[in-house]
Amino acid sequence: MNRVLVVDDEPQIRRALRTSLEAHGYEVQTVGTGEEAVIGAAEMAPELMLLDLGLPDLDGTEVIRRVRGFTELPIIVLSVRDGQHDKVAALDAGADDYVTKPFAMEELLARARAAMRRAQPGEPTPPSMRYGGLEIDLGRRLVTLDGDPLRLTPTEYLLLEALATNPGKLLTHQWLLRKVWGQGYGTETTYLRTYVRALRKKLGDDAQAPQLIVTEPGVGYRWIAETSGAES
Amino acid sequence: MVVSQEPEHEGTANITARGVLIGLLTPAIATVVAYPIAPTRPEIPIAVFMLAVVIAAVAGGLWSGLIAGILASTLRPLVVEDPQLTFRFDDVEDVATGVVFLSVALVVGLLVGQASEDRARASRREREARFLGTLSSTLHTREVPDRVLDEFAEVLMEPFGLSRVEIEASLDGTDVRAVATSNGVVVPGGPRTSVRLLAGDASIGTLVAERPPGGRPFSRDDQLLLETAARQATAALDRARLDARARNAQLDAETNQLRAAMFSSVTHDLRTPLASIKAGVTSLLDTAVQHDPAQERELLTTILEETDRLNRLVGNLLDLARIRAGALTPTRQQSAMDEIVEIVLARMRSRLAGHVVTADLPASLPDVWVDPVQLDQVLTNLLENAGRHAPEGSEIQVSVLWMHGAVQVRVADEGPGIPLDERDRVFEAFYRGSSIPDTSGSGLGLAIAKAVVVAHGGRIWIEEAPQGGCVVAFEIHGGDPHA
Repeated sequence: MNRVLVVDDEPQIRRALRTSLEAHGYEVQTVGTGEEAVIGAAEMAPELMLLDLGLPDLDGTEVIRRVRGFTELPIIVLSVRDGQHDKVAALDAGADDYVTKPFAMEELLARARAAMRRAQPGEPTPPSMRYGGLEIDLGRRLVTLDGDPLRLTPTEYLLLEALATNPGKLLTHQWLLRKVWGQGYGTETTYLRTYVRALRKKLGDDAQAPQLIVTEPGVGYRWIAETSGAES
Repeated sequence: MVVSQEPEHEGTANITARGVLIGLLTPAIATVVAYPIAPTRPEIPIAVFMLAVVIAAVAGGLWSGLIAGILASTLRPLVVEDPQLTFRFDDVEDVATGVVFLSVALVVGLLVGQASEDRARASRREREARFLGTLSSTLHTREVPDRVLDEFAEVLMEPFGLSRVEIEASLDGTDVRAVATSNGVVVPGGPRTSVRLLAGDASIGTLVAERPPGGRPFSRDDQLLLETAARQATAALDRARLDARARNAQLDAETNQLRAAMFSSVTHDLRTPLASIKAGVTSLLDTAVQHDPAQERELLTTILEETDRLNRLVGNLLDLARIRAGALTPTRQQSAMDEIVEIVLARMRSRLAGHVVTADLPASLPDVWVDPVQLDQVLTNLLENAGRHAPEGSEIQVSVLWMHGAVQVRVADEGPGIPLDERDRVFEAFYRGSSIPDTSGSGLGLAIAKAVVVAHGGRIWIEEAPQGGCVVAFEIHGGDPHA
């Protein structure tokens, strides 16, 4: 049974989350402060942490930083703040995803499942992934659409690889820039925008009804496609 | 207009060179005229000399008349009785004529002097009246009290021939100072005078007027006129203060009215979804009632929809609070407007599923420096409005154009449109169109959109769509603010 640590100072939210999560078969622990959250993350060894950013003692981002000091446990941030800045700060500190309050339970559960699946050890990324007509062969660095090889620039390929190997995860601008362009980058969102646009065009993804890459305005991008079976 | 700059007119007491000249010349001319006539008609010269005295008195005033009288009484006997022009002044007749001449000169001179003084006074009064009239209309058009004194100081300069006016007054406890100078250059040391500014009997300040060095000293008339003008200025000041107070009171009343409307609107908007939610939940919790699955689902769907509505409203209220607090500062970054449109359309897809949404985006569009999150919100609000007001199945068209270095975004719908006289008001917070029965909107979407666009230095407006609906368009010059 998956253990979930819920960190929120509002008893009503704790109760609602406990009830819903237990109904879905999770084992739930709830705490109300940042200090308890850090201790809980160490002692209970949960498989997931749901963390409210507005805690009475520690700032949520600080909690993430401390927890990241000893574990890679998936953290989903729950935030009532709608400023992009807080979300980006939490994600850059090491949170895996965020959900804005008020949220729909099904959305939270979907994010939780995706985060825990990514954290599963012993399940290496398959060398080849298929999404409908799109096939990405990481071993041969080959991308084909409906059987035709796509001509991607090296940067486009690196960007696609970074996105597709982190399915469902919200990747911040800074993370993507460092991953694809290198450590010296982090604020050049224009590059990112240009390459995502070019990539979408080549992959045949419609920005108005995206099937592959979703833009999170002011935060980053998310690969949303589900694999339709991997080839060996 | 000059009130008192010209020299004083020649009154009874003034001797001028011109007066003396007239006094000397007229009897001389009379002598020349009378001399040839005297031997044949000795009664004519006395009339000629009398005429000369009268002319002198009329033309030159009292002193001219007296000089002419003395001269005439001296010259007449010479002309009449001694054609060889030897002086002889012992006749009783000659003395009597002299007295008559002088009496005539005196009477005519005094009368003429009086008349010319009256005339001068009348014309001065007229000029003063005109000055005060102009002053009054100038001062009374000033609505801001502080400006009244500035204007007053300025308006005194030319008519009084002043080089500098300085007014110091205390208005409602604050000290106000107004200074006017001619061409900004003041040479000190000229004649000066001061006048108190009186509001009722209380002095509220002083006015100091100064003429350039060598200027005429201030006469009593000047002083009186300045005092009258000062009284007018204080009256105008009073009026302006009362007006300002009345305007503030009206503004307060309007603000209060708006606030009251806002509270009632917010109360209604917040309570309505809460009421639906509570009704739904209590119904589901009620153990006495057995809901079938369809009813249960319907209640739950209502609760969900109303929660979303409440959440949107709270979001809008928070945005409005942010605007009111002046905290709506765009975080500008280089962005592509067409991408923002695409993101919003992607997110709104399900909510606008009942409409045909089309996007008309240019093949290439220069980047703009805007806050993508805030503009996302603007577009979301415009599309929500369109979706709410346009009938199911109608088309909503979003287009982006690049014109004259600015990006223009247009959202056109096939709804009922917005009447001409409401096109400005729809951007006011809590305003709902009169023709729209639907109250599901908060009346805040357009107000927030406008605040964001204005914060970006842009403008937003309503147009009539060719197919009868309405177009909400906004335009932003998105140049790099750091460039």
